[in-house]
Amino acid sequence: MDVDVRQMTWTELAAVCTNLEKACTKQLRGEEAATFAQLASFYESRREPHSDAKIEELVALIDADLAGGYRSANEAAQAAEDRGSKRALLWGEKATKLLKSLLVRYEKQGAKLTEDTGVFVCEICGFVYVGDAPPEVCPICKVPSFKIHPVRKEAI
Amino acid sequence: MHAARNLRLCTKDCVCLFICPTGATNTETGQIDFDKCLDGCRLCVDACPSGAIYLVSSTYPKPQTTEDAVAERLFALANSKAAQEDLARSIAHGSDDPALRQICKVVEMSSRIIAEDLWRESGYIIAQSDAAEQLVEAMLAEYGAEEGFPVEAVQAFLNGRR
Repeated sequence: MDVDVRQMTWTELAAVCTNLEKACTKQLRGEEAATFAQLASFYESRREPHSDAKIEELVALIDADLAGGYRSANEAAQAAEDRGSKRALLWGEKATKLLKSLLVRYEKQGAKLTEDTGVFVCEICGFVYVGDAPPEVCPICKVPSFKIHPVRKEAI
Repeated sequence: MHAARNLRLCTKDCVCLFICPTGATNTETGQIDFDKCLDGCRLCVDACPSGAIYLVSSTYPKPQTTEDAVAERLFALANSKAAQEDLARSIAHGSDDPALRQICKVVEMSSRIIAEDLWRESGYIIAQSDAAEQLVEAMLAEYGAEEGFPVEAVQAFLNGRR
């Protein structure tokens, strides 16, 4: 199935490019990886932040995926016996639930949530962890912890 | 097909240096010299006691096809993940609270990783796929004239495929 680049948002275009960049890097094709990285940067540079964006809107989008998008995609993947897609949907849905939990906890606790501890993201599946050290193996995709990276607070 | 070294696994036992007929494994960078490596030779791969050397293919089979009914739902989720990344980025942009910006950064990174995986399963798993080639051609046609678009690199990529 083809996509229409004119219908895609800047971030969607960037995401398909960073995915292909990673695939090229894993094949040790540095030049092609650099081309996709440049394409991704081109699309990312076109983005303009929206004003007055709220956490509640973000949670609402996540809720919509959890209530509908993932279920309908899972049903289609099940009907097609497409294990690759089922795998991606399973990992993505689990990571999405953790993102929702992170946002809901942040709304309740504010800065206290991460005051004395770290936040980590798995570079493979998007697993999110709040704590002092990440688990030795990612609970979602089972990659070793050297691929689970801290995201630090930055002063402006 | 050439050999490559996984530096995280390499225990520097040097058996690859002993066995390599061309000296390709003996470099100052730690990585194998791909140009010196003999196509498909694999002597070092089999000799390595730590399993740190593997072969990198120069050609790949066509990826598995994804049914349209599945692909369209994966695209819809990838679109939603991109919207979430954008919102998180916008929230961070409008705030000077380091804790909120940290949480937003996490959402941005994780949403991107989830979206990439959805693209991977809908035909864009490798740059050699027909889907990826058509996408890059469409990007060049639509955005090639705009400032900052990497025209030469994209044309080199497309020429390399022909």
